Amino acid sequence: MREIKARSIVRGLASGPALVSQEPISFLGDLDITSGTIIGRLPSVEGMSVKGTVLIFPLTMGSAGAWRFLFQLYKHGTHPVALITREPPDPSVVQGAILANIPVVCEPEEDVLALTSGTRLEVDGAAGTIRLLQ
Amino acid sequence: MRLNDDDKAMLDGRQGEAKRLAMDGLVQLGNAFGAEDMVSIGYAHIHAGMAMYLHDVELMEELAAKGASMAVPASVNIANADTVNWQQTGAPEKLARLQQRAATAQNQMGASCSFTCTPYWAGHWPTWNTHMTSIESTVTVFCNSVLGAKSNRDGFFAVYAGITGRYPRFGYHLDSNRVGTHLVRVEATPATISDFSCLGFHVGRLVGDGVPVFEGFTRRPSLDELDALGAALATSGGVALFIIPGVTPPYASAEQAFAGKAPRQTLNASPRDVKAVYDEFCSAKDGKFDLVHLGCPHASLEEMKTYAALLAGKQVAKGVELWITTSRAVRNEAQLAGIVRTLETAGAKIISDTCPISCHFARSASPDPKLGVVPPPLRAIVVESAKQAKYVRDMIRCDTLLTGTEEAVETAITGRFVARRRA
Repeated sequence: MREIKARSIVRGLASGPALVSQEPISFLGDLDITSGTIIGRLPSVEGMSVKGTVLIFPLTMGSAGAWRFLFQLYKHGTHPVALITREPPDPSVVQGAILANIPVVCEPEEDVLALTSGTRLEVDGAAGTIRLLQ
Repeated sequence: MRLNDDDKAMLDGRQGEAKRLAMDGLVQLGNAFGAEDMVSIGYAHIHAGMAMYLHDVELMEELAAKGASMAVPASVNIANADTVNWQQTGAPEKLARLQQRAATAQNQMGASCSFTCTPYWAGHWPTWNTHMTSIESTVTVFCNSVLGAKSNRDGFFAVYAGITGRYPRFGYHLDSNRVGTHLVRVEATPATISDFSCLGFHVGRLVGDGVPVFEGFTRRPSLDELDALGAALATSGGVALFIIPGVTPPYASAEQAFAGKAPRQTLNASPRDVKAVYDEFCSAKDGKFDLVHLGCPHASLEEMKTYAALLAGKQVAKGVELWITTSRAVRNEAQLAGIVRTLETAGAKIISDTCPISCHFARSASPDPKLGVVPPPLRAIVVESAKQAKYVRDMIRCDTLLTGTEEAVETAITGRFVARRRA
């Protein structure tokens, strides 16, 4: 089982299939809360659902309201189970993830944007590790 | 992260569950951003608990039930319904009742339940070097840039900071980050509050989360103009701090604002750039609209006086709605001054606690279906603020007509859209 080291941002342990977006994501606007569907103009993932996935993307787009939308996804049961970002996420996203118990790691030592969507991953937010389960 | 004895006592749960939960979140946040320690804050502008979002009011009620109380003076951000006069906005009663529950929780926690995006006009006026926290980016940018307080653009954790009186030392709490990044040469001569709003919107797009330093204003902008400039900078970009040497404490000169270094980039802001923002947000090509809105961010008493002077003895046209949004505190002041009567006699609706983009008009929210929220069909809203315009487009998802305050009032009186006149 391969393991990728990353920086710990929000603690928690979760696993699910990877969903890899090549584009930055804004939690305010790019996602439909009630379904988890990506409605923003993100060619690599548009129309897909983040529900239950380990969502991988390069960076968060700034909005002070992002936390509320991440929390709303959680309240509707349409949230990603973990987040992996290449660059450190916005404070607002981190606050939403803590509130929603969604583990977050960033700055992985390997290019995770090259992973295939659907690959099963386990993220340990406290340890700062990403495990490839298959 | 280095924690003092009091921080540790909170984290260990020795000061109750609410403080434990809050400190635990703040420590995680601090570690994520490499904070060395915590600072003591002097003020918090916190989340309201929003009735248009599932389980959001309950979030505040749960904290209150855990015994949370504000360790510092705290004001409360905008809400999703006018909790007193919701009928005049057409909001469902169930939505207003739920919003009132948030007020009960806020009162229980000792916050001043201001329900406004401009708590400074309601008397919450943090001073130079006060560390603080704010959930509202307009408040962050005003307090940093006009008052010289120190604030990040926060989310929900403004509540946690209010409960503990502490916040991790990162971002704009460090003087090393309170340094200019972009020099903005203002070639336009913004004459009205709306002009400042459009100027800010233009510059915010170019500087992102940078720190713009302005030069070239031909006069000192008024407090209302600074408010409009900041709100727009924080909307189109991620600006938390702008610097106008001689206005923003403690920067006396551009050299000081850039800490003796060269700007990362120099930009010019021309009259054409300002006009382009007005044009972008005049999307209703047929000029048809359902509502004229004044007061984004929530109007100051000075702005209320301006509206009253423009509307005195006039009448809003048949079939036109004119909304003026302001905090309840400023509304009360305006009531004592006779301004509310003047405005209401002219046919304006004065609405507090909320605004068009924050109320049941928003299509991007996710209210509990049980509340029976149905956003009304709207063709276009006439606005005087680029911030309101952007969110009308993105959240209400209808057309906008952006113009100056005088022209917006004229629009309401004549029933025909009056575009911004060149200064």
